[in-house]
Amino acid sequence: MQLPSTFFGWVGFLLEKYGNLFLLGTGMTLLISLTGTVIGFLIGLLVATLRTIPTTRRTPLPYKVLKNILNVLLNIYIEVFRGTPMIVQAMVIYYGAMQAGLIGRGTPVPVVAIFIVSINTGAYMAEIIRGGIISVDKGQKEAAQAIGMTHWQSMLNVVLPQAVRNIMPSIGNEFVVNIKDSSVLNVIAVSELFFMSKSAAGAYLRYFEVFAITAVIYLILTFTVTRILRLIERKMDGKATYTILGSQTDSQSAITIHPENREG
Amino acid sequence: MQEKQTVLTISHLNKRFGTQEVLSDISFDIAAGDVTCIIGASGSGKSTLLRCINFLEEPSGGQILFHGKDAESGWRRAEYQSKVGMVFQSFNLFSNMTVLENCVCGQMKVLKRDRKTATAKSIFYLDKVGMAPYQNARPAQLSGGQKQRVAIARALAMDPEVLLFDEPTSALDPEMVGEVLSVMRDLATGGLTMLIVTHEMSFARDVCNRVIFMDQGLIAEDGAPSEIFTKPKQARTREFLSRVLDR
Repeated sequence: MQLPSTFFGWVGFLLEKYGNLFLLGTGMTLLISLTGTVIGFLIGLLVATLRTIPTTRRTPLPYKVLKNILNVLLNIYIEVFRGTPMIVQAMVIYYGAMQAGLIGRGTPVPVVAIFIVSINTGAYMAEIIRGGIISVDKGQKEAAQAIGMTHWQSMLNVVLPQAVRNIMPSIGNEFVVNIKDSSVLNVIAVSELFFMSKSAAGAYLRYFEVFAITAVIYLILTFTVTRILRLIERKMDGKATYTILGSQTDSQSAITIHPENREG
Repeated sequence: MQEKQTVLTISHLNKRFGTQEVLSDISFDIAAGDVTCIIGASGSGKSTLLRCINFLEEPSGGQILFHGKDAESGWRRAEYQSKVGMVFQSFNLFSNMTVLENCVCGQMKVLKRDRKTATAKSIFYLDKVGMAPYQNARPAQLSGGQKQRVAIARALAMDPEVLLFDEPTSALDPEMVGEVLSVMRDLATGGLTMLIVTHEMSFARDVCNRVIFMDQGLIAEDGAPSEIFTKPKQARTREFLSRVLDR
């Protein structure tokens, strides 16, 4: 068989031969980073809500103690997972769980991978969401409280929706970071894009060509995701126009207002 | 005159921020249908008092009784807060919701009303404050006066027994003060029990049936507007009134 001699020749050849591998790897990378970001986001919401539970002078002491212990544990979680590299976390968790007998040879590695990315992201998200909560005017929480909403109700309905809107750029950042950094999970042999690329490169020892392709795929992924998130952000801002109902029954009397400059 | 039923009893209420005593030994009753204005200089503790009554601030000492039961141990906090509503100086409309959703949300989450009932009730009160046509607008698209009227409708939709107003017109442009005061005047005429912290002296004189003058965390004088405004007993009340009325 005649092997290609130019860069583009090799690229075409490798794409034809290993296109499937690249596609599978890309799928796995997307699966891990998307699921990991979503679960990490939920962990972050939970942690941030738990950390902001208020106590009053009538709160029973055991409850206050419990809440303090919980706060300490949550802080440890955040510090540990933000303070160590994900590649090390992957090794410790994967082989640790293996030794402890929690997972065996039969356990699907992608599940472990998603778990690792999720709790790693959760630690960052908790801090990002804390920032988001701070960015929401204190009066919003007070108004929710003043009509009788509980801490959870006011967080869920009033504070977090606004906090999340404010931190959408940071959430997008986390997703993009996860797409790229899930590549470190090749150390536990997850068949994500980097791992698949290594396999493809090894066959003909064409590392430069293969990883040039890989780089382009990563770039396409992150660029697309960034654009989609921008669209979601715009959607979250709600309609820029509103309709004044002149009459409840006569829709003809409605006037649509297009404010020229609005906040947010 | 028949005896009116006492709704709210404030008894020996204290509030300290650190070592600074902001409220000291505040005691008074609110009867059903009372429209009470609290006046006084800035920093005299008016707003803190209101915030303590709604438990946005935890009182440091003393007791609040609602229908004779301790507001902290006799009532679920959410239930008490829904019955003792609050209107803020800075409106605090939920900025992630439309005008209608602002009024519907609390009814559904706190009072467990179904959407249809909650919507009907919201539209009734929005109509009352003249904001029904704007039900689909977002808070950022409204003027200050419009926002405050929506905030009042939102509070009313919870069917409160007492409504607290914390300087409701202080953040408004002068030309919008009138529209909010006229809504409040209608509510007073309608028999709603109101406790109003205000700097609008003519409103306090004409609409309230009771005026409380606060000075340095204490109730300095408490009486009918005719007494307080025409023949105040205390020198400091006279001094305060001469400052604010002669502008």
